[in-house]
Amino acid sequence: MAVPDEGADLVRSAIGGDDEAFAELVRRHKGTVLRIAARFARNHAELEDLGQETFLRVYRDLRSFRGDAPFGHWLSRITVRVCYDALRKRRREEKDVSLEVLAAPVADPSTGNGPSAQLARMILDQAMSRLKPEDRLVITLFELEDRSVREVAELTGWSETRVKVRAFRARQALKRYIGGDDER
Amino acid sequence: MNDKRHDRRDVELDRYFALARQAPPDISGVERNFETRVMARIREGREPWYALAWRLAPVFLALTILLAGWSLSYSSPAHPADPVTMLASGTQEVALLDYLTGE
Repeated sequence: MAVPDEGADLVRSAIGGDDEAFAELVRRHKGTVLRIAARFARNHAELEDLGQETFLRVYRDLRSFRGDAPFGHWLSRITVRVCYDALRKRRREEKDVSLEVLAAPVADPSTGNGPSAQLARMILDQAMSRLKPEDRLVITLFELEDRSVREVAELTGWSETRVKVRAFRARQALKRYIGGDDER
Repeated sequence: MNDKRHDRRDVELDRYFALARQAPPDISGVERNFETRVMARIREGREPWYALAWRLAPVFLALTILLAGWSLSYSSPAHPADPVTMLASGTQEVALLDYLTGE
C-alpha cells in the first residue's frame, strides 16, 4: 500500500490496532476536521459531536483507506459527509427560524463600517439554515471555506455541474432571504 | 431596474460572505483534549470477550434448562433394558436374541 503523506507510518500502525498511533492522527488532524465542521455546527456541543462522529467513522473505515491520496483529503471527505448527514437530519427536525435579524444593514468590509463579522456570520447562518442541505453544503464550502468548484466536487463526490447548479440556486435563495422578498 | 436590484443584492451577499470569512468560528474550546475524548469513545465502543460472555450467560442458562427438561421427558426407553421385564411383556424371542447377542 502506498501512503504518500507524512503520517503514513501512523496510518499503518493505526490500521494494525495501535491506539497511540490513532490518537496521534486525531491530534494532528483535529484542527482540519473541527474547522470544517464548525461551519455547520450551531454550537460547541454540536461541533464536538460532529468531530467525534467523524473520527469514529475514520476509525471504523481505516482499513478501506487505499492510500492513493493524502490521508488529510480522505479525512476531509469523511468530515463533509458527516456534516451533510447532520444537515439532512437537522432539516427533518427543524422548524422555520425567525428571520427578523436579517433586516440588519451590511457594509463594505474594506471600510470597516457596518455590522461586525460575527453579526454577518450570524445573519448568514440564519439565512443558510433555510437552504436545502445540498445547497447549504455547497455554498458553505464554496464561499466560506473558499474552495474551488473542483475541490467541492471532490469533497462531496458530486459532479462539477451539480456543484455549480447547487451554488447558483443557493445564491439565488440567499439573495431572496437577505433581501427580504422571500416568496414563501 | 430589476437587473440593478439583482446586482446590488449580489454585492450585498458577497459582503456578507467576505465578513463571515473574516470571522472563522472559534474551535479552541472543543480542540482542547479532543483526542482524549475521541479515544475514550472508541474504547467505550469496544467490548472485551468476557463482557460478551457475561451478557450471553442468561441465554446459555435458559438453553441448559430447556435441554435438561427435554432429555428428562424423552429418557424413558421404548424397550425396557431388563430381560425379565421384556420376557414378561411378550417379546420373548426378540428379547432373548438381544440378550444373547449382547445388543
